[in-house]
Amino acid sequence: CHVPVSSLQAFPLPSLPRKQPTVLVVCGPAQNGAIGLVCARHLRIFDYEPTIFYPKRSPDPLYRDFTTQCEKMDIPFLSYLPTEVSVPPGSLRVHRLTILPPEHPPPGCRRHRVPWGHPLIPCPCLFLPVAGWDAEAGGSGGISPDVLVSLSAPKQCARRFLGRQHFVAGRFLPYDVQKKFELNPPEYPGTECVVALRAPR
Amino acid sequence: EGSTVSPETTAPGSGRAWRPPGVLPFLPPRQEEAQAIDQELFTEYKFSVDQLMELAGLSCATGIAKAYPPSSFTTSQPAVLVVCGPGNNGGDGLVCARHLKMFGYEPTVYYPKRPNKTLFEGLTTQCQKMDIPFLPEFPAEAALIDELYGLVVDAIFGFSFKGAVREPFGSILSTLERITVPIASIDIPSGWDVEKGKADGLQPDMLISLTAPKKAAMHFAGRYHFLGGRFVPAALQEKYALNLPPYPKTDCVLQLT
Repeated sequence: CHVPVSSLQAFPLPSLPRKQPTVLVVCGPAQNGAIGLVCARHLRIFDYEPTIFYPKRSPDPLYRDFTTQCEKMDIPFLSYLPTEVSVPPGSLRVHRLTILPPEHPPPGCRRHRVPWGHPLIPCPCLFLPVAGWDAEAGGSGGISPDVLVSLSAPKQCARRFLGRQHFVAGRFLPYDVQKKFELNPPEYPGTECVVALRAPR
Repeated sequence: EGSTVSPETTAPGSGRAWRPPGVLPFLPPRQEEAQAIDQELFTEYKFSVDQLMELAGLSCATGIAKAYPPSSFTTSQPAVLVVCGPGNNGGDGLVCARHLKMFGYEPTVYYPKRPNKTLFEGLTTQCQKMDIPFLPEFPAEAALIDELYGLVVDAIFGFSFKGAVREPFGSILSTLERITVPIASIDIPSGWDVEKGKADGLQPDMLISLTAPKKAAMHFAGRYHFLGGRFVPAALQEKYALNLPPYPKTDCVLQLT
């Protein structure tokens, strides 16, 4: 069932800075975007101030309900992605991007490049980890995220990840699935649903 | 109970007592209000039962892990008996059992009356695929439960419960009233009147109130009272004047006592 998986995958990281808790969640058209919607809602419950950019909305009734939940929680939906992001000197703006599957970038999204230097936190989906990255080879262009949250298990291209922190969120996977795919997940501490993997080289 | 209670005043048009936020402990909703909150989550906010049940069950397992860590069990394994009733409270129990397994416990489920609905069939399958055994019959004696399990999770009846207790749950509750190992009840101690409690009924050691504590929680005398179900939007909390204390950081449970 999608729902419990999405609910469990989307718990965001406690390590995000709280001084200016504004978060931009960019959601693609498929499951990964839906996970972003769930994530935004939990961020709101955790007292962050998420804003969503969701240009290509899925017709899937489950994902439409996720959208309604966000709207009813007064999470704003941008009608366009700003081309310029101005940052007052000395402040930190945290952005969270949800992955756009490379074959289907939303119209106009490709043109918008988030300025270099902003920490970006993508949440890769099960199959396609980072917008513009090939799932296995990774990518030399495209986004350079600061934090990566691998869902279920890290993908091949996660080896190319050069950011600060790499988390895995896969505690919901039944043991037989873990064994079947030889996932060998690390131990999750206590009742945490994410675990930090060792820092990239 | 030692809490300072100011006289209630009614805000115009609200139809219910108003209290300034933060001054008093939570105001437990009446049964109809608790049901109205749920209804609004489903009809206005378009949450699915699956979503909220998953978060509720996860809260229960997390609270249990805080109050009764696996190392605290005297049984050789951290064995837990989860008794699931015929409705949504039972569903919360199934989700809880699955997460308890993930957290390193050895849960066993007793689920005698299973609704004919995809949701519950799915939850049952998920437990079975995690090698969580389902007992064919309820342990005949309280002493047997005490011997085999270090904790019992009461997921029999929830806040919609009204009227008489039907079998087999009457006998089950009689047996549970005689065990010595701790009981953790989900939302409402089963068999209790949702507002008035039940002095001669189940006396759980732990209560996990979901969404908000109900009036019955005022009669709870056990050691651990947790709040779970961290999904109520701020607007809904305000509308029903829930006055919930804040959860710590990103935790999905809050320890009230």
